[in-house]
Amino acid sequence: MKTRPQIVGVLAASFAMGVALAPRASAEISDEQFNQLKDLVTQQGQALKKQDQRIDQLETTHDQDQKVHEQDQNRIHELEQQLNETHSIATNAVQKAEAAAQVQPASPAAFAGPAATHNFTMVGDAEVQFGKATGSSSAFTLADFAPIFLFRGGDNTLFEAGFDIMLQNGSHGPGGSGGSSTSVSLSFAQLDYLLNDYITVEGGYMLLPLGTYSERGAGWLNKIPDDPMVRGVLPDSGAGVQLRGAIPICESGQMLTYSIYGANGPSSIDGSGTSTNLDLGGNVGDTPNWHVHPSGGGRIGWFMPWKPHYDLELGLSGQSGEWDDAGSHLWSAAVLDAALHVSPYFEVKGEYINTWVGTDDVGTYHPRGWWLQAAYKFAGLDLDLPVINDVELVGRYDTLSDGLGTKTDRNTLGYVYYISNTLLFEGDYEWLHGNDAHNGFVFQLSYGF
Amino acid sequence: MKRLHSFKLRLRAGIGVAVIVTVIYAVSGALVIGADTKAADKKPQKKEVKKLTGAELYAINCNRCHAERYPTEFTSAQWKTLMTHMRVRANLPAKQAREILKYLQEDSGN
Repeated sequence: MKTRPQIVGVLAASFAMGVALAPRASAEISDEQFNQLKDLVTQQGQALKKQDQRIDQLETTHDQDQKVHEQDQNRIHELEQQLNETHSIATNAVQKAEAAAQVQPASPAAFAGPAATHNFTMVGDAEVQFGKATGSSSAFTLADFAPIFLFRGGDNTLFEAGFDIMLQNGSHGPGGSGGSSTSVSLSFAQLDYLLNDYITVEGGYMLLPLGTYSERGAGWLNKIPDDPMVRGVLPDSGAGVQLRGAIPICESGQMLTYSIYGANGPSSIDGSGTSTNLDLGGNVGDTPNWHVHPSGGGRIGWFMPWKPHYDLELGLSGQSGEWDDAGSHLWSAAVLDAALHVSPYFEVKGEYINTWVGTDDVGTYHPRGWWLQAAYKFAGLDLDLPVINDVELVGRYDTLSDGLGTKTDRNTLGYVYYISNTLLFEGDYEWLHGNDAHNGFVFQLSYGF
Repeated sequence: MKRLHSFKLRLRAGIGVAVIVTVIYAVSGALVIGADTKAADKKPQKKEVKKLTGAELYAINCNRCHAERYPTEFTSAQWKTLMTHMRVRANLPAKQAREILKYLQEDSGN
């Protein structure tokens, strides 16, 4: 038996190798190292747990998002179906409309196009007056309807015409003329063309820019029912052409304004150059205008606001031209106008007017005068009283010299009660001083529309 | 001789009017071109001057002659017509009239 010692030898060699080649891992580990390793393993386990929880949360969120997404998809699908249905209805409607149009082509179809380029509008004012002068009986003295028709053709063209349809009832007595009269008159009828931002061309029967009163003096704007006496020495309107416009200065609202015109101008009733035959409104009507050359005139103005409701306006205007048929005499006028606003409650305005009339009989004479008007709204006192807050106190002084020796002065004190922004109840008392002068009161109901 | 004198006067007046009209037209043309060039040359970094709003321009220009009219009193198309009328009547600058119109049309009636 030779194998037995060989096996024993192999076993012994293996044992020896096992002892000699034993791994270092089996070396000794301290308790401290072991505990550290244990803690590390525990922490990693906790971290893994947290990550698992986080993954669970994300999965839950993902599921919810998935559900929302599915809901959205369903909604989109529904909306697509509705859109298809609407499209189908619209297509049917168009087909029906086309079919209807073929059946009845003359009938107007509904059209949603751009806004109309032309427009017709009516504005204006209406007044009723009740008055009494010293020595006469009281009466409803005036009923006035003054429409303004505006027709705009496109962006640059406007035709405007203003009429005055009036019933005047003279009161009986020393101061009254008696009787009544109804009149229909044309105040203006003009075509305006906006040539560019700085020039407007006007033609027709125009309100003349001699001062500002005739252009801005509708019945519901004047604050005092009667016009200043001196306005009677000027024509209100004239047939001709005019260039006008404004040039803004800076961005403050300040501006320079200008008007330049040629118009028929005053004429002579009988063609002669005698002073009693001057006809200021001789452009139209029964009196022909036979003189050869038209008059020329214009106004230049400066408007300076320093904030809303605080402003000053100054203007200088004039007109000159021959008035008798022979063309040997001139009628000329110069007007200085001013207006001041201090707050929304207080204003002062006025005009100084001088005219020169050359004649055969009295040479050159000067009808002239001026007026100054102030107004204060009680709303400025902030009294919180409804009626008082709607009242404006107005006072005016105006004077007229006819240039032939007669001078008349007038003091007027009155009020405006604003029933609404366009419906006004005015009243005033007038003290006149001069030849055959009579004091009196006037009440007026005015409506601007 | 008198006829000749009258003709000379007429000629002078005619030339005078023609010169005035030409100057007005030329100046307005220059202003229009100047305004366009100014707008084109405007540098964005330049400090803008405070522009008055349509409401402010309305208060400045309209209230000085008449009581306030409310935007709802007229339609948008009517306001355009009325502002053309007022631009001519009150000699309002075109730009300001457009701003006021915009303000009125924003709350205009139907």
